[in-house]
Amino acid sequence: MPYHLFKCSQCIPEREKHAVIKGVGEDISMALPLGYLNTIPGTISERGCAYCGAKHVIGTPMKDVIHLSHGPVGCTYDTWQTKRYISDNNNFQLKYTFASDMKEKHIVFGAEQLLKKNILDAFAAFPDIKRMTIYQTCASALIGDDINALADEIMEENPDVDIFVCNSPGFGGPSQSGGHHKINIAWINQKVGTVNPSIDADYVINYVGEYNIQGDQEVMMDYFKRMGIYVLATFTGNGSYDDLRAMHKAHLNVLECARSAEYICNELRVRYGIPRMDIDGFGFEPLSASLRKVGLFFGIEERALTIIEEENARWQPELDWYKARLMHKKVCLWPGGSKLWHWANAIHEEMGVDVVSVYTKFGHQGDMEKGISRCEEGALAVDDPNELEGLEAMETLQPDIIFTGKRPGEVAKKIRVPYLNAHAYHNGPWKGFEGWVRFARDMYNGIYSPIHQLSLLDISQDEIPTDKGFVTNRMLSDADLSDEVRNDPNLRPYTGNYDCVSPLRNKVYPEFPRKEKEVSVA
Amino acid sequence: MSNDIQNKVEELVNYIMKKCLWQFHSRTWDRKRQNDNILGMTAQLIYGGDVKPATPEEKCYWADAVCLADAFRNRFGWLADMDRADKEALMTGLKERIDFLTVTGSLNLELTDVHY
Amino acid sequence: MTCEILERTRAGIINPIFTCQPCGAQYASIGIDRCIGIVHGGQGCVMFVRLLFSQHFKESFELASTSLHEDGAVFGALNRVEEAVDVLLMRYPDVKVVPIISTCATEVIGDDIDGVVRKLNEGLLREKFAGREVHLIPIHTPSFVGSMISGYDIAVRDFVSYFARKGQPTNKINLITGWVNPGDVSALKHLLKAMEIDANLLFEIENFDAPLMPSGNTVAHGDTTIEDLRETANAVGTIALNRYEGGKAAEYLQKEFGVPAVIGPAPIGIRNTDTLLKHLSDMTGKPIPESLVRERGIALDALTDIVHMFLADKRVAIYANPDLAIGLAEFCMDLEMQPVLLLLGDDNSNYAKDPRVKALREHAYFDMEIVTNADLWELEDRIKNKGLKLDLILGHSKGRFVSIDYGIPMVRVGFPVYDRAGMYRHPVLGYQGATYLAETMANTIFTDMEYKKNKEWVLNVW
Repeated sequence: MPYHLFKCSQCIPEREKHAVIKGVGEDISMALPLGYLNTIPGTISERGCAYCGAKHVIGTPMKDVIHLSHGPVGCTYDTWQTKRYISDNNNFQLKYTFASDMKEKHIVFGAEQLLKKNILDAFAAFPDIKRMTIYQTCASALIGDDINALADEIMEENPDVDIFVCNSPGFGGPSQSGGHHKINIAWINQKVGTVNPSIDADYVINYVGEYNIQGDQEVMMDYFKRMGIYVLATFTGNGSYDDLRAMHKAHLNVLECARSAEYICNELRVRYGIPRMDIDGFGFEPLSASLRKVGLFFGIEERALTIIEEENARWQPELDWYKARLMHKKVCLWPGGSKLWHWANAIHEEMGVDVVSVYTKFGHQGDMEKGISRCEEGALAVDDPNELEGLEAMETLQPDIIFTGKRPGEVAKKIRVPYLNAHAYHNGPWKGFEGWVRFARDMYNGIYSPIHQLSLLDISQDEIPTDKGFVTNRMLSDADLSDEVRNDPNLRPYTGNYDCVSPLRNKVYPEFPRKEKEVSVA
Repeated sequence: MSNDIQNKVEELVNYIMKKCLWQFHSRTWDRKRQNDNILGMTAQLIYGGDVKPATPEEKCYWADAVCLADAFRNRFGWLADMDRADKEALMTGLKERIDFLTVTGSLNLELTDVHY
Repeated sequence: MTCEILERTRAGIINPIFTCQPCGAQYASIGIDRCIGIVHGGQGCVMFVRLLFSQHFKESFELASTSLHEDGAVFGALNRVEEAVDVLLMRYPDVKVVPIISTCATEVIGDDIDGVVRKLNEGLLREKFAGREVHLIPIHTPSFVGSMISGYDIAVRDFVSYFARKGQPTNKINLITGWVNPGDVSALKHLLKAMEIDANLLFEIENFDAPLMPSGNTVAHGDTTIEDLRETANAVGTIALNRYEGGKAAEYLQKEFGVPAVIGPAPIGIRNTDTLLKHLSDMTGKPIPESLVRERGIALDALTDIVHMFLADKRVAIYANPDLAIGLAEFCMDLEMQPVLLLLGDDNSNYAKDPRVKALREHAYFDMEIVTNADLWELEDRIKNKGLKLDLILGHSKGRFVSIDYGIPMVRVGFPVYDRAGMYRHPVLGYQGATYLAETMANTIFTDMEYKKNKEWVLNVW
């Protein structure tokens, strides 16, 4: 498997080992990009910092918590309102962000008293919220404020509040992934095991590495509830602080984004003996297998099979409608860390697209092992890509669409490649059966946008077609389809609603008979 | 191992690498443990044996093994025509190959980090 | 009826109005042609600022980082500045201007960016990039001082002071716009053209609204050149529209090169636009042409249609960059509206002494509060807990949930605006901007009346 050195990076030859092309018959033992190494300065890398990895990615989706960053205001401001992790408590975590507002005098004389007053004032402003996470930043780390000691002092003085401290300054690691790690370990060290609720349920899981982007978590909760499974805590999307303190009481950790949250699952396995089960919430087949596995674990496989059957019957005709129209469209799958492997095979098999490239902004070699394994031959895999490499890859590969972040999406737009937001989604949720159809629908709408087609016409040089007042995406997508497919009565485009999440919040679920307490061994 | 078996091993490897995640836990000892248990149980199921997981840990391996064995049976019709000896050769070859790809032959430099 | 000026007394910020200084320096640097800034600090200080710009403009801008990691935070990271400059110059052969922008982290560890620039000038640039024009400009913007506003002000001054050189008079004026949108620059150029005035615009950012072209890659970028910056020393005069965003540069040019400076007001509303035209005319001797008299008349005609029927007595809260916020408050006064709350989002002690703020205090005929060092909780807390009644909010998108949760109509204005389409294209400056602002306020109130069924039938005849 040959390494790939981009032309634009020939002057920084150390970049060569960060990209490979998966050749015919080649596997991950032959070449693997380096990963999670310090960024080369000045490359215009897409990476963020360890503070954002802790606070923005993992910490803030917790919904009933005051999220206070100890530092100058920028860290707080910059990581506020740039994501779509919603919650069922009116989105407190999206709406409110707190900064200790460290100034020069605090740098010189220390900021602990400032922080103390901050904490008290923040609780005073929101008397109903009794939980807080304090995030260290570069500035507070460098001046050496002892946030943990201060938090202990405040908790002692105010027994009704609980404070979690996350010491993950921006410089703490090559990328945001450093922060994922630090907050995982800090949470299990500081908080897991500090409450012991009595749980009256037979089947208890933690759902880990799930951030409720556009409602993903709520979609998956629907399946778990339909199976009679009690989700004790979600780490962390739509998750509750006190529920997460009780993670040690679950029977099973169901892990979705291993990149950001495998650490806590590994520790929960070692310290509390809770098994780690890796699942995929994306794609009909992987999701079906995942639900079935969880069912098997608890001996309630048939409940999973019922859901799988119902959901497949409802949504397969819609997924297949898109698949027929997305066949062999070329995709650059360029997300942050986990979606390259969550999606690479599932979109190929279930939507028919060809993944011509995967990249990971902040992932590790483990993510590349998974991502490359799940790609077909010929795919280009890149670690810690930078602006010029991304452009060069798009020019070489000529993708029909790319899945990446909002800002790199603007780069793609300018070379007339449509993009979907891989982090926040276009019109998600994209998890679950219906969600997967929504993903296919968004992909279809992006690729077959009549406006996108217009952007390829040069009116100063090209023949201007004057016979049409409009073109529809259907005219574009169906032009080359056989009549048989085009008119297939068994297929249909998406029929769901704009908001498929809110209705789940009021849904009533069946009660399952309780398991007998004493299980007799045959 | 015959060429035929070797080709069949590769088909199974391909399935695991494209569809499964359990083989990619983050450290060498975890991958070894996962491979030993899940592929061990899968082999028992493929041989027609019964696996009775007792502990939560075993149930977790078993759940993956059941799904994997079913997928193998459903996708690879030739499996039904194999005799026990061939199946054993197949599953032994599979285990060796997955161990190689994910543990002994893995280029992942983080596998031996002593901390999670 | 009083107007109080207060300062936030709560410790800490709940929902900030501004981000920190390095963002302002980055915003200034993207206005310059062939310029890619290198931010010396953690990667988030760049990644999120690029995201913020892309949220507002729906464009991507090039900015680099030295990618401060743990080792650099402990042992110093000047080697990473050196490497960043080298890598950037090798891979971007057209780049000429490279500001080195500091952050809280690298200021705290005491990295000497001025020293490293000297070292690079004498070493790397001479040896490896001989014959190539490269300007490395250290800009100190520690995040724990000021805000993005002062960061912008400092960066504009530093760019100007770095490049400005005495030469032949240009007969041009310097027009320092402050933190504005492409639509504002178009509106300003329109006024200048009508006045037949040749101006050196800092910064020429019209192309931040970049096209999707059938061939080639049209990256959004600013167009102010090194030459433009150099010639600022030789202008007839400088008009800095915003006291707090560009005022420092105007003062520098006056002090250093005797270029007369006029600082403010931003041409927000009819009256302030009149003032700008007077300043332009005084500075250049050019008369105000009939076309602008007519344009002003169209604006006044439009305002007259809505002012006393719909806008009069409406209670407004305003938060935005300080010059914009003050300008909007002044315009609201002219429109018979009541800007009952004005939030200025950093600790600049000059706001309280600003003559425009003093004038507002003196003439407010309703209860008005001006809060400095404010955050958005100063707004929400008053609505939620202290009975503040509002008819309208003027501000940027970060405050959108105040509008949404309390059912108060809001006009998006300033930076950043990411929850309304194309707002960067519409000017708030000049007569056109005044019309746009007033009509948008009216239309927003109309939509709210209809949505709430609050005398929506009034609009049947008008």
